[in-house]
Amino acid sequence: MKSHLLALYNNMEEAGLVLDELNATKLPGFSMKDVVIKSPIEHPELSEKLGKRPVYVQLFTLLGVLFGPITGLTLVASAQASFIYQVRGGRPVVPVPPDMVLTYEFFILSGVLMTVIGCFIGWKLPGNRSPLYNTRVSEDKIGILVKAEESTIPYLNEIFKKHHSLEILGEGVK
Amino acid sequence: MSLNNLIKNWTSFRSRRPYLDQYKNADYKWAMVIDLDACTGCNACTTACYAENNLPVVGKERYEKGHAMHWLRIERYWGEGESVPVDMVPDRGAQFLPMMCQQCEAAPCEVVCPVGATHHSADGLNTQVYNRCVGSRYCSANCPYKVRYFNWWQYADSAWPNPLELQLNPDVSVRSKGVMEKCTFCVQRLRESMDHAKTDGRLVKDGEVTTACAQACPTSAITFGNLANPQSQVAKKWKNQQIALEKDEQKKDENMRGYRIFEEFRTYPSVVYLERVRDLEA
Amino acid sequence: MSHMINHDVPDDNEIQIEKKFVPKDLDIDKDVSWAQINKDVLRSLDRPRPVFWVIFFAALALFSFGVYCEKYQYENGLGVADLNNPQVWGLYIATFIFWIGMGHSGTLLSALLHIIHADWRKPIYRYAEAMTTFSLLTAALFVLIHLGRVWQFYYVVAYPNERWVWPNFSSPLVWDATAIGTYLTSSLLFLYTGMVPDLAICRDNATGARKKLYTFMSLGWQGTDRQWATFRVTYMTLACFLMPLAVSVHSIVSTDFAVSQNPGWHITSFPPYFVAGALYSGCAVIITLFILLRYVFRFEAYMTMPILNKLIKMTFAIAMVWNYLNIIEYSTVWYGANEIAKQQLLDKMTGTYAPVFWGMVFCSTVMPFTLLIKFVRTHLPTLMVVSLILNFGMWLERVQIITPTFGHSQYPWTWTSGWWPSWVQFGIVAGSFGWFTMLFMLYCKIFPTISMYEVKEMVHDQSKMLKAKGVA
Repeated sequence: MKSHLLALYNNMEEAGLVLDELNATKLPGFSMKDVVIKSPIEHPELSEKLGKRPVYVQLFTLLGVLFGPITGLTLVASAQASFIYQVRGGRPVVPVPPDMVLTYEFFILSGVLMTVIGCFIGWKLPGNRSPLYNTRVSEDKIGILVKAEESTIPYLNEIFKKHHSLEILGEGVK
Repeated sequence: MSLNNLIKNWTSFRSRRPYLDQYKNADYKWAMVIDLDACTGCNACTTACYAENNLPVVGKERYEKGHAMHWLRIERYWGEGESVPVDMVPDRGAQFLPMMCQQCEAAPCEVVCPVGATHHSADGLNTQVYNRCVGSRYCSANCPYKVRYFNWWQYADSAWPNPLELQLNPDVSVRSKGVMEKCTFCVQRLRESMDHAKTDGRLVKDGEVTTACAQACPTSAITFGNLANPQSQVAKKWKNQQIALEKDEQKKDENMRGYRIFEEFRTYPSVVYLERVRDLEA
Repeated sequence: MSHMINHDVPDDNEIQIEKKFVPKDLDIDKDVSWAQINKDVLRSLDRPRPVFWVIFFAALALFSFGVYCEKYQYENGLGVADLNNPQVWGLYIATFIFWIGMGHSGTLLSALLHIIHADWRKPIYRYAEAMTTFSLLTAALFVLIHLGRVWQFYYVVAYPNERWVWPNFSSPLVWDATAIGTYLTSSLLFLYTGMVPDLAICRDNATGARKKLYTFMSLGWQGTDRQWATFRVTYMTLACFLMPLAVSVHSIVSTDFAVSQNPGWHITSFPPYFVAGALYSGCAVIITLFILLRYVFRFEAYMTMPILNKLIKMTFAIAMVWNYLNIIEYSTVWYGANEIAKQQLLDKMTGTYAPVFWGMVFCSTVMPFTLLIKFVRTHLPTLMVVSLILNFGMWLERVQIITPTFGHSQYPWTWTSGWWPSWVQFGIVAGSFGWFTMLFMLYCKIFPTISMYEVKEMVHDQSKMLKAKGVA
């Protein structure tokens, strides 16, 4: 049975020390993978301590920029070639420069859409709510959320308290 | 399916028009010759056009605002190379130029229409599909001749008060407000005669069909016909004047009178004008 | 003597002082706390100065008048606008370009400055992006308004239908529709993605119906490390997409004219000219809105004078680029071999529309030089007036691109002079300003206009930097 614990800290330095200690201590039923930082701004120097957590958004972008122009160009060119073909202004029925312009726009549109979709998937949003949240996290506090076996929770609680946590939230913890 | 179509007809889709002998094997290519020497500026052609094509008479006020719908207009120019005081009529009178849609082979208006309401037909006409037109007026903006006319008002409400609506040509639609229109070379007449000829299993003979303006012209200044038929009057005149449809610069002898307007814009118009001959000594 | 020498050579203490940052160089006060940032920005959603409502209702009134004019035009036909045969576009297309142009600086400011890590963008990019979105919406309105049969506007959209009839993909208007659609979608997503962390802040502080709205829109953002990492990559990627997109959109708008053969339009330098003009007018509007929001929402602590100064420098630089391209445009026509284009240029400068042309020269070429005066840069009411004049000049620029060309195109028989738009056109143009202002003011009231998390980042980075310099 795993349980959650969220501790709030005043500043990054304190939170950093906690993470260092969590990293150093070996506790049963707990690993750094179970640690989540919740912060009002991005903290690359804190996230570093969590180890490598890859982001896959770029793959979606790549997919988008490949898919968009190819389908776009195919659709436009085959639409021009469909039905009774209509000559306009003496230009070729499938003209290159206009199709390039449109392909370019499809390239960007599909790239943007896929990036945003990739981002939502990366966020696991909407819908995925990670447990234990405190509104002060969106203001100016740094939260550290851990997930561990029930038996390990008191030890973690100890570590959090040692570094002057402002508040500790969690199941069965006061 | 359309993808198949695209791959199969790639070369034809990629070719530019007009090219040499484009209409050699075609049945029809409608074209016109206007002899300015014969034109007296009597406006009979304009009147015939109004009657044939259900053009609304807009009235003085709207005419002054530039809302006139004259598909075929007679332009009046004073003098040539000579300066004439504004309020005086020069000795030799005015010069007249009947101006209508030039049915360009490479029409600037066709390229820019966002919905494809205007495009080129197989018999060389610059068509205008009223039902498709959304009225962006881009075609008019891009037409170097400015021969496209926009329905600024719902003319059908006021232009033909009862019982004048009975004079409307049933073969031609009455356009609503917000669409662009222009000279069609009387496409309703062409269509009818082409259909008749097809029923008889032949092509339309020269002189069998003509436009309203050509029919009404008292001096026969306007010649209309099928350029694809080398025996037609029009084709002969084009040939005599040494004008080739697919060229933007005509190499011709000096005493030739034929010219097309704005050839340098590479619009390849289908209307040839014959210059007025003036005796400058007299 | 030794006393004098002592004075010339500064002691250690004085060197220390010289190394120190002068506080006025900071874009934002370093002592402002994160909680204070939340409080100040959230307050803008709550209690603006009364002038907010004055502006809002004035805009609403103007918009209502515009709607009335449009209804009148819809029922009677475009004839009521006094457009005529050569003058087919009039103010509608000119104002369309104006709004499209305005929509460009939001993205420039946000995306470009984000890519090059110019931190001063952070307090001001949000409203600039919102401005982009709303001016694009306004521009899209003009595409519809100028149509003769607006009820058939969907013919321009490439939708599958049983007749297999497609729009004409060779038409610059279809490129326009595609480009504007892409730009609107992308900039909306850019705006929204960048706003999610702030919406979470709003959610945490709101009650009632607003709480529901923010909860829905913030998608359950909790600021976890994974969310932030994904966010950073996404935001940078979007910025990289939006930069070239912004350039392409206004280039495509310029092809509406450059692709045609008309004198005064058929100019190779039109795409960069339009892009520069777009950025120019957009920057001027950003300055206008800067001053407005700063006052209305009491944002003095965030929209600071150093930031405004940087904004003005950028505007001036872009104004000079625009001037240069303007000179290029006219000189190529002047020294070119195209007689008609040259005549048209002369007609533009001396004919009926000479006031429009010289008005543009005064407002957009001469006026930016006043930005060199320190008083103009620091006295906000004056700056507001100057920025409005720059904008008006850019509107005149669009009018003088469109109107004189129709009045003096290739065909002499159609040369006209003295064309003047009717009250319906002016009414619709005014209504569009009302529509834009109304939407923008509503937006400012509902969504945070300053990016809270990025201002926090800014304060954080600044204090880190100061610490590194040994000042704080």
